[in-house]
Order: sequence, then C-alpha cells, then structure tokens
Amino acid sequence: MRLMPVFKWAIILAVLVCTVLFCLGVGEEWINPFNANGQNAVILWELRWPRLLIAFSVGGLLALAGAWFQVLLGNPLAEPYVLGVAGSASVGAVAGLMIYPESAVAMSIGAFIGAWLGISVVMAFSHLGSGRMLLAGVVLASFWSALLALLLALLPKSELGLAFSWMMGDLSHSDLPISLLLLSWIVALGCGLQLSRSLDALLLGERHAEALGIEVKLQRNRLLLLASAVTAVAVTAAGTIGFVGLVVPHLMRLMFGSLHKAVLPASAIGGGILLMLADSAARTIVAPSELPVGVLTAIIGVPLFLFLLLRRS
Amino acid sequence: MSGLIQASNLYLQRGNKQLLSGLSFSIQAGKITVILGPNGAGKSSLLLALAGLIPADGELLLNGANMAGYQRAALAKQVAWQGELPPTEFGLTVKQRLLLARGDNDRDMSPAVSAMEIETLLKRPLAELSSGERQRVELAALMLREVPVWLLDEPTAHLDLKHQAHCLKMMKKQAAAGRAIVTVLHDLQQAVVVADFIIFIDGKGYAESGPADQMLTIDRLSTLFDTPLIGQGKLLVPDYGDGI
Repeated sequence: MRLMPVFKWAIILAVLVCTVLFCLGVGEEWINPFNANGQNAVILWELRWPRLLIAFSVGGLLALAGAWFQVLLGNPLAEPYVLGVAGSASVGAVAGLMIYPESAVAMSIGAFIGAWLGISVVMAFSHLGSGRMLLAGVVLASFWSALLALLLALLPKSELGLAFSWMMGDLSHSDLPISLLLLSWIVALGCGLQLSRSLDALLLGERHAEALGIEVKLQRNRLLLLASAVTAVAVTAAGTIGFVGLVVPHLMRLMFGSLHKAVLPASAIGGGILLMLADSAARTIVAPSELPVGVLTAIIGVPLFLFLLLRRS
Repeated sequence: MSGLIQASNLYLQRGNKQLLSGLSFSIQAGKITVILGPNGAGKSSLLLALAGLIPADGELLLNGANMAGYQRAALAKQVAWQGELPPTEFGLTVKQRLLLARGDNDRDMSPAVSAMEIETLLKRPLAELSSGERQRVELAALMLREVPVWLLDEPTAHLDLKHQAHCLKMMKKQAAAGRAIVTVLHDLQQAVVVADFIIFIDGKGYAESGPADQMLTIDRLSTLFDTPLIGQGKLLVPDYGDGI
C-alpha cells in the first residue's frame, strides 16, 4: 500500500474509533452509543464497555506477542499457539479446576502457571536455533493436547462446561482487573518499542544483527521473557484465542513495512480491533447465547492468513 | 609489524576439523588482504573470527586491545562484515535494509546507492530481487558503515561482469581512502588485481601469509589448489590443457 504514513495512521485510528462505536452499539439489541439512557446506559457502560476494553487489551497483547515470537524464530508463521503455549495453559487451567472445582480463579492461576511452563520448555530449545525451536513447539503442542485429553477424561462432568468455554477463548469470565490489562498493554508496547532496533536488526538474521552491534543472546532472552509474560497475561485473561498473533502483525507489515517502530504500535491497536470485532460477533450472532471467541478468530483468521500468504507469494 | 588487527598464533576449529594451527598475520589500514584457499578450508570462518562473530584460540588484537574484550556495539563501530545474504521472509525493502545498516549515523545514502546502481530498487522488497541485485544491496549497506575495517566474504559472488568490476574498483577506492579490507575471493584474477597481502589456508592446518607479489606465484597457487595453473603476466588460470 503506497500511502503516506500519516494517512495510514489516520486510517488505523479511524477504524479503531468506528470499531469501538460499532461494538458498543451492537448486541442482542442495538443501542445508540450517543443516546443511551436508563437500562440501555447500564448495558452500554457496565457490560459492553468493560468487555470491549478487555478485548482491546487482550487482542493487542496477543498481536504484540505474535510479532515478537515471529522475529525471535525468524518465521512469520510463529505465534504463541503454534509454540504449544495454548496447550500448556489449557493443561494448567484444567489442573486448576481439578484441584479447586468450580473456581474460575484457580483456573486462571493454573493457566498462568501453565503458560509460563510451556514457554519455559520451549525456551530450553532456543539455543538450537529458530527452525528447531518451532519444531519443538509443534511437537510439544501435541504432547500438551494429549495431556489435556487425559485430564479432561478425569475431570468431573460438572466442570467440563467451564473448562471448554475457557479453552475456546472466553472474555466473559476474565478475572484480571481491566486496569491491569490496559497497563500490561501500555508497558508491553513501551518495552517493545525500546527493543525495536534489536528487533529490526534480527530481521536480517542473528549473524547480521550481531555484526551491527546487537548483543543477540541478551536481546533474544529479553524478548522471550517479554513475549512469554505478555502471552501468559493474555491467556489468563481470555483463554486460548489463536490467530490474532499470527494475522495481525502480518497485516501490519503489509501496511507499514517491516520496521518495528511502526509495526508494534500498529499491531497493538490492530489486534485490539480484531478481537473487539470478533468478540462482538461472538456475543451477537446467537444472542442471548454466546459463541466462543476463539472459534471466531480462527474462522476469520485462517482464511485471511491464507489470502495474505497467497498475495505475498 | 603492527596493524589495525593483529592475529598471533591463531587456532580455528570447525567440529573436529582443525582449520588453522598457529597462523599469525597483520591487517593494515589502507591495504587489501585477500584470503585464498579451496572449498571448506575455513576462509569464511576466519573472516567470522576476525569480525568477532565466532570464537578463535590465540590472540586477536584490534587497535592493540584484545578483541574478546570489546563490547558488541563497540566492535561494530570498528569492523563491518558482509557475508551471507540476509533472509527475506519479513518483507524488508531495499531502503529499509540500508537504513538498518546506516543505524544512527546520518550519512547520505545516495553515493552508496549510485555506486551499486540500485536507485530503482529502493522501494522493492528484498524477496523480489535476484541474488546479484541482493548482493549489490549488501555492498551498498556495507558502504554505509563508517568503520575502519571491512570484512567481505566473496563480495563478487552473484554479480555480473560489470558489477564485479564496480565492486573491485570500490574496494580499491576504499582502501586508498585508508580503510583496511579483508576479503575472501575465489577468482584468482580478481585477487591478482586487488590484493596487497594474501592469506593462504588449505584447511588441513597449513596456512601462511605475506605480500601479494611474493605469494601469488604459479607454483604456490598450484600447490594450494591442488590443480595445475598456467599464467602470463598478471593472468592466472587453471590449465585446461588448451593453453591460454
């Protein structure tokens, strides 16, 4: 896209504002965000608005983590879920439910520990290089899903509903405070921008990055730690939501080029937009019931990603 | 003899193979040093060791200080390395590639861009370029590094005849301006044209270095490459059996 950068940012911000207004209004019943009174105002500002903020911050965090993992692994197909983190977080969540039945808090804590564990195991393979690390992630994903199947078989039937809704991505049961999620979004973006020169240099491969003066090992470890922490927060808040981390950075690179001073903020906002739209669709399509948002991000994300792949080739 | 880089008793190993056993040499400012040797002899590895990108045993001094003691960023201000072509997966454009090489210095990019004739490629992604065009971009990126030592691994690889000549002229010009240049070359003719000093490596532990006029003799080169050579004046070619 050959547009001036300022126009591209204007487009992103305009889409963000329109998305927020649209997602506030849409639901079982359309509510005009500029003219809501009484019960409608309660629905708008106490139900839809907080959930929108959760979707925005979680989507942004997932997109940032995806952008970082892709550079770390030198592979634009990498994201937390490809690396088996979704699987390990799910194992943690279900283990939490087994220990403290019916406790969403135990499930969230379990998910957080599981996400950390999953990334720590993948990190142990980081010295083998990007390709093998990605392969290790794919193999580990199979291991975690086998372990998950085992735990689900042992889980009491009464707990299955909660476990499944979390595993498919669910923003309605988030136990993390919204302020913490928004703060994580700001801190993650700030840290990412601090590391953007290293990220840019790593696009040339580790050897070229080192030759340009980057302490590659140190910066890789910092990025892995940051990406892991961000993934753990996002997974804990919303369960397993795939493809946001895969599609959004890819899309933003097509729009803004590859340098991270633009790609990271654009991804943080773009991820938020995508998840706000997906979550609004999830709570509207079969209202008053809800669809799992992870299913929708996959349904939107996979064809979009394949289209982008074809377009690039 | 002192130089920008002073290597003493250098040992280099790849896996179980001993590439260098106790080589000493000096890299001088304003001179071009060419590393010659057969495939797999360790020429690129020696270049990487000189760039501080792989470890080597022995003593490597840069400006009189042990190279191992340099911080990565400080080393990058002294030594630039051009090696394998960088990956293209992330859609970097030529201009972005050059910006990454230039870093914080605000050097005008146009002399490097016009020297390598890549003006029309600036907005294109690296992935859309041929290997030769990408090599020219890498050479332009190298020209944007304000450092006293250049290490080049087969800089004329992938290039057509015209751009090979551009590349060699550019190296001579940079050396004349005071830069120390170390380059791996496969083409003996190019080595004869640009080299001030030569480092021979045979990959079996034997290595020697010296001034080009003493080192580039038919006998030495025939032994090093294990193939008969014939030559006339500055022309050196393998003996195909048909004469020159």
